[in-house]
Amino acid sequence: MQRKDFIKNTSLGLLGAMLTPQYLAKNEVILGHNNKRYKINTRWSQADVARYPVNNCHEMIQDKKGRILLLTDETRNNVLIYDKNGKILDSWGSEYPGAHGLTLFNENGDDVLFICDNTRHQVIKTTIDGRVLMTLDYPKETGMYQKEEEYVPTETAIAPNGDIYVADGYGKDYVIQYNHKGEYIRHFGGKGDTAAHLNNAHGVCIDTRDKANPCLIVTSRQQNAFKRYDFEGKYLETIDLKGAWVCRPVIKGDYLYAAVLQSNSRLGAQSGFVTILDKNNRVVSNLAGSTPQYNGTSPDEMYQTIKAFQYPHDVCIDDEENLYVAQWNSGKTYPIKLEPVV
Amino acid sequence: MKNRKQKVEIGIARATNYTDFTNFTNYDVWVYVLISKIRKIRVVRSSVCLIHIMLSMPALHAQETFSLAPPLMSYPSVFFTKEAKIELFFAEPNTQIHYTTNNQDPTENDPIYRSLLSITKNFTTVKAKVFSKIYQPSDVVQATFIKDGLPIKSIECTPPNPKYTSSGTTTLIDNQGGIAALSSKTWLGFQIDTVEIVLNLTKKQRVKKVLLNLLQDYGSWIFLPERIEAFSFNDKTQSFQLIGNQVFNQDENVKGSFCTPSVIEVKKGIKTDKIKVQLYLVKRIPDWHAGKGGKSWIFIDEIKVY
Repeated sequence: MQRKDFIKNTSLGLLGAMLTPQYLAKNEVILGHNNKRYKINTRWSQADVARYPVNNCHEMIQDKKGRILLLTDETRNNVLIYDKNGKILDSWGSEYPGAHGLTLFNENGDDVLFICDNTRHQVIKTTIDGRVLMTLDYPKETGMYQKEEEYVPTETAIAPNGDIYVADGYGKDYVIQYNHKGEYIRHFGGKGDTAAHLNNAHGVCIDTRDKANPCLIVTSRQQNAFKRYDFEGKYLETIDLKGAWVCRPVIKGDYLYAAVLQSNSRLGAQSGFVTILDKNNRVVSNLAGSTPQYNGTSPDEMYQTIKAFQYPHDVCIDDEENLYVAQWNSGKTYPIKLEPVV
Repeated sequence: MKNRKQKVEIGIARATNYTDFTNFTNYDVWVYVLISKIRKIRVVRSSVCLIHIMLSMPALHAQETFSLAPPLMSYPSVFFTKEAKIELFFAEPNTQIHYTTNNQDPTENDPIYRSLLSITKNFTTVKAKVFSKIYQPSDVVQATFIKDGLPIKSIECTPPNPKYTSSGTTTLIDNQGGIAALSSKTWLGFQIDTVEIVLNLTKKQRVKKVLLNLLQDYGSWIFLPERIEAFSFNDKTQSFQLIGNQVFNQDENVKGSFCTPSVIEVKKGIKTDKIKVQLYLVKRIPDWHAGKGGKSWIFIDEIKVY
C-alpha cells in the first residue's frame, strides 16, 4: 500500500473515531463516598498532543476568569490554559524545566502566580500571563543551606497578608517564610524525629475554613500525613492519613482535597487516588480509593481500589465544584476531570 | 489480504499488554496502536476503517474498562513454624475477594474470602483477586508461606551494606519477614559482587533443598542474583562441593516489589552439617533499566534448609 493511501484510510478511521456517539464513549463509573461522589472523564483535554505536549502534569489552579491553568515540566509550554470544557485557550512558558508547584494569589485584585522549579532551585512569581515579577533563590539566610542544589522547592502558599511560605519538599523539608517583598522572616519544619518535623514536605496551603483560627497545612508525604502549624511556624497537630502519599492540600469551601500519589501498600505501582477531608479533617471520600473508616482519630489504612488514576499529583476544584486531576509520570497524559454527582 | 486476521490479532495482543495506560480506554489504546504501528500494520486499501470499526466495537461495549486494584494481603511473616494466619482486605463496595491455595489464579468459582485464612502446609501459595460487576477483575496478589526447615545452629554471612543490616546475620534464620517492602526491617541488603552464607546445622543430616527468600524491586535497583550456588562441606576432602545451583533471568516486565523464594534442589540427598551458599550479583544493571551499567543490589531476608 502507498503511504498516501494509508494516510487517507487512517484519516477515515480517525473520522470514524470522532463520530463515535458520545453516549457510548461516556464513562458512567461513579467514584467516591458520602456526599463527595464524582463521574470521571478521562478525555477532558482537547489539546492537540503535537502542538501542546505535556510531560509530568504537576499542578493546576483556576484563575479569576474561570480558566484552568496546568503547570507541566514540558518546556515547550510550561503553562497550558484551558477552559472548563478542556479547550486550550492559551499557553506560555519555556524557562521552567523543573516546573513543579503552581500557586495562585489574588494580589490587590490581580491574579499572580508562584512557580516552584525543582531544577532551577528557585521560586518565581509571575503575572497570570507569565511575566516574571520576582525570583527567590535558595534561602541561605536560614543558615541551613550551603548551596542551591540542597534546596528543591515543591510548593508555595501565600497568606492573606502576602507572606510567602515555601515548602522545600525535595530538599531539606523546611518551610521558609518570607514577607510579600521576598524578605526572609523565619523557617520551620525540616527533617527530624519530632512531630513538628517533616518528611517530604511536598505541599503547603493556607487553611481559612475555621475563620477564627486560620493556619498552615503542610504535607509530610512519606509520613502519610498533613501537619498543621500557625502562621509563625508553631506546630499544632498531625492529620494522620495512613497509607496515603498525599500531595498538596487544596482547600475549597469546607473541604480539603488532595491528590494521593500512591498507596503505601503498592509503591511504584501506579496506585494513586484522591482523598477528601471534611472541616474536621476526617476523610469522607476517597476517589478510586478505599472506603474511609475510622477507628478513633486515625483512619484505617487507605489504598487504591480502582485503577482510575496512575500517579495523581494535584487536584484543582473549579467554581462549579468539578475536580481536575493532574498526574505525574503517567504516560504524558493530560489531566482528568471529575464532575460531582448530585 | 490473506493474513489480515493474524495481523489484527497481533494488534490485540499489543494493546492488552498496554497496562501502563490504565486510564485510557481500550479505544484510545487502539488509536495509539494504529498510529504507532503505521509501518507494521500493512492492511489492504480501505480496510483501516473496517479494522477501526471491528476493533472499537467490542471496546465500546466494554465501555468503562477500569480495573480493580489488587486486594491487600496482611500477615506478620511468610515464615511460620506451625501455622500462618493471613488476612485479606479490600474496602470497595460490591466487590468480592476470591482466593485459592492450589496455585491457580482465582476465578469467581473459587471461595470468597470471609475471615482469616490458616495455612499449615509448607510452600502453600495463597492467591487472591477481586471481582465486581462494574470493573474488570484485579491482578492477582499472592504470597507463598514457608515452614521452618532443619534446625540451624549458627550462621556466617558476608557483611551487608551498612544501610541495610537489619538486626544482623541471624535475621536470615529468625522466621521473620517475607514482606515485599524496603521499609520492612527484615532485609539484609548487599551491593557487592558475591554474597557468601555458611550455615551450620545442629547435626549431620540429609539435605534436599536450600531456600533463599529474595526481594525483587527494580524501582529500588534491587535485582535477583545472576545465579546462586549451594555447596556442602565434605569431611573427607575438607572442602566444599557444589550440590546445586540456580540461574536467574531478569524479567524487565516485572513491576513493583516482590518476594521471590528461590529453591535450590539438591540432586542427590547429601548428608551434611555444613552448607555454603554463594550469590553472584548482576554485575551491570541491564540496558532497559534507568540505572543501566551501574551496580545492582540484592536483598535477602531468610534462608532455610530442608
